[in-house]
Amino acid sequence: MADSGIQLEAFAPGMYPRSEALVQATRDLDRGRTGQAEVDGQVEHDLDELIAAQQQAGLDLLSDGLLRWQDHFRPLLEAAEGLETGALTRFLDTNTFYRAPKATAEAPRLSGPLDGRYASPLPGPRVGTLPSPYALARGTGVSPEAMAEHVLAPALAGLDAELVVLVEPFLAPDGAAPGDLEPALEALSNRARLALWFPFSDAGPLLEQGAADLPVDGLGIDFYATHLDAVPEGFDKLLLAGVVDVRSSVAEEPEEIARFAARLGDRGVERIALVPNGDLQYVAEPIAREKLARLGRAKAAA
Amino acid sequence: MSRFLTHEIGSLAKPPWLVKTSQGRELEESDVQHARAWGEKVGVEGHEELVESLERGGADPDDVALWSSRYCVRMQEAAGLDVIWDGEQTRSEMYAWAIAHANGFEPRGIVRSFDNKYYSKSAATGPVSLQEPYHNAEFSFLQSVAKARLKIPITGAYTLAVWSYDEHHTPKEGRLGAGYGRKQEVAARRELTLDIARNLIRPNLEALIELGATWIQIDEPGASTEADELDLFVESFNVSVEGLDCLFSTHLCFSDYDLFFPAIEGMSGCRQYCVGFANYDRRELGDSAADRPGYEVISKFRDLSYEPSLGLGVLDIHTDFVESSELVRDRILYAVEVFGGPERIDVCPDCGLRTRSWEVAYEKLCALVEGARLAEAALAYRKGQAPPESRLS
Repeated sequence: MADSGIQLEAFAPGMYPRSEALVQATRDLDRGRTGQAEVDGQVEHDLDELIAAQQQAGLDLLSDGLLRWQDHFRPLLEAAEGLETGALTRFLDTNTFYRAPKATAEAPRLSGPLDGRYASPLPGPRVGTLPSPYALARGTGVSPEAMAEHVLAPALAGLDAELVVLVEPFLAPDGAAPGDLEPALEALSNRARLALWFPFSDAGPLLEQGAADLPVDGLGIDFYATHLDAVPEGFDKLLLAGVVDVRSSVAEEPEEIARFAARLGDRGVERIALVPNGDLQYVAEPIAREKLARLGRAKAAA
Repeated sequence: MSRFLTHEIGSLAKPPWLVKTSQGRELEESDVQHARAWGEKVGVEGHEELVESLERGGADPDDVALWSSRYCVRMQEAAGLDVIWDGEQTRSEMYAWAIAHANGFEPRGIVRSFDNKYYSKSAATGPVSLQEPYHNAEFSFLQSVAKARLKIPITGAYTLAVWSYDEHHTPKEGRLGAGYGRKQEVAARRELTLDIARNLIRPNLEALIELGATWIQIDEPGASTEADELDLFVESFNVSVEGLDCLFSTHLCFSDYDLFFPAIEGMSGCRQYCVGFANYDRRELGDSAADRPGYEVISKFRDLSYEPSLGLGVLDIHTDFVESSELVRDRILYAVEVFGGPERIDVCPDCGLRTRSWEVAYEKLCALVEGARLAEAALAYRKGQAPPESRLS
């Protein structure tokens, strides 16, 4: 693929699964059987292992895996004035739940970047992950634009990332129009290089409605739910191609992914990033590690 | 009128002396005291034997689990429940226990449920079959110790399927960029779910009935995970129970219950829906519709053509708040008003109480039973009748 003029990279944004040892440590902490220092030590160990796995796989950007995050919203809800955790809510059609954002003020605000514990230092260029403005605003009565300006922008400022992936799981299932998100993304677009990621859904309808014209540098598409033909001809953004299925325990064949990347190239996509189709936390850590390795092998094979 | 039938839903917490014994950890005096105090409180015959065993150390975890079953049986009987189980004391967990006794699955590690809570997840890797009936020993033991009637909770086929990966029916290659859509996903899930229903759940049910089971509750907490698969949930229930001679109910919880309609119109083998409502309700007293927003959907259960009864969830199992008996009463009275009479109403918690301490669970169950009695008295008073007789007697 290097000879084809296509720029190909690979990385894994989103939440990475905790190891069994870390799960046990957090469980013990909840039950008063261990202290925060022991949990912190295990988080550091998990992070070291995750960094090593990404480096060994040859990934181009490194993620900290959001190992301390309880869900995509929690640190923001805990740190921002005017936001708090709401009802325990099923994440799409998975068996994993999150605390839905709840606004307690008309104009929630984050006074500065998130605590450094939520964006660990990395020994290489970072891919950061935050919720999209629409996802954060959903059900709160606050506009996505206000969330972008007053909550996400301060969080972005603290990430120092090569690329920030905004996770947008709800736009497609809600049947909302991509254009509704445009003002909010405009508010963020000059603050970082951004990609909007549509996990676990057919992005075809969003692309038909002009998602490719949104003011972001890249779009993340789940190709286990979206047909290749849904990608518009002449797509000129970075395409985060969801080619690793995090809802499946089966490890992907790198050669199949490489062939698919070539088909994307044939369709005129010039910048491709091979990524999972959602957070790797939907599989157990050993499976996630294997999927990371295969992501790297797929890039090498392409 | 007859009495409201009161019953459990499923799980209760495992006591510290069982947890620690199972994990090979040393007991503290407070653990032994827990066994002594609860043995006395709920009248567990011979509990001194357990206490001595715990004090001595080295107790057999399997024996301790059976003691824990006895405690939970007596606890529910002492609270006054009409129909009971043992809080699933000898099971590992509702998913893992079933999968561990099935052929055709392999473990795939742990996955987050929420926050710091994780669950074991397996993958279907081949045709499903039953290794051995996995509730028989539990049922036989409980038959020997229970004084009240038994209702056996058993995890249903759809929940087992939707909580598993499927490596057997889903293609391993060829899905990438192919628009492998919901239609194919649903088809794969249907194969797995019906395989489980026919070859795991049904033979298990047959074995329990053979042993004398008269009421089996098929737990389906995952039933509404996929809104477009509710027909499959219904089909799997029907395949599991069709033609079997037993009272079958199902338990649904923490869902948008509107989703179940009209799909469950076709689930006529289900004679009772045990459903959690208190979680969505207010805590103030009152028996009007405005007072009871959590119960708005119950009219849809009333209108099912095959007229199943409703196991009315009146205890929020997610909180240590102990409902007053008056609050329980008002929730029941509202349901009676909606149903036009008490005949199709039973009273139960929203779900299993395993996330609550025994102290809180017991208080809640006592309030449930007392609330049922208050509701009966209120209805009798309205009709100028004497207090009711037990429906079981």
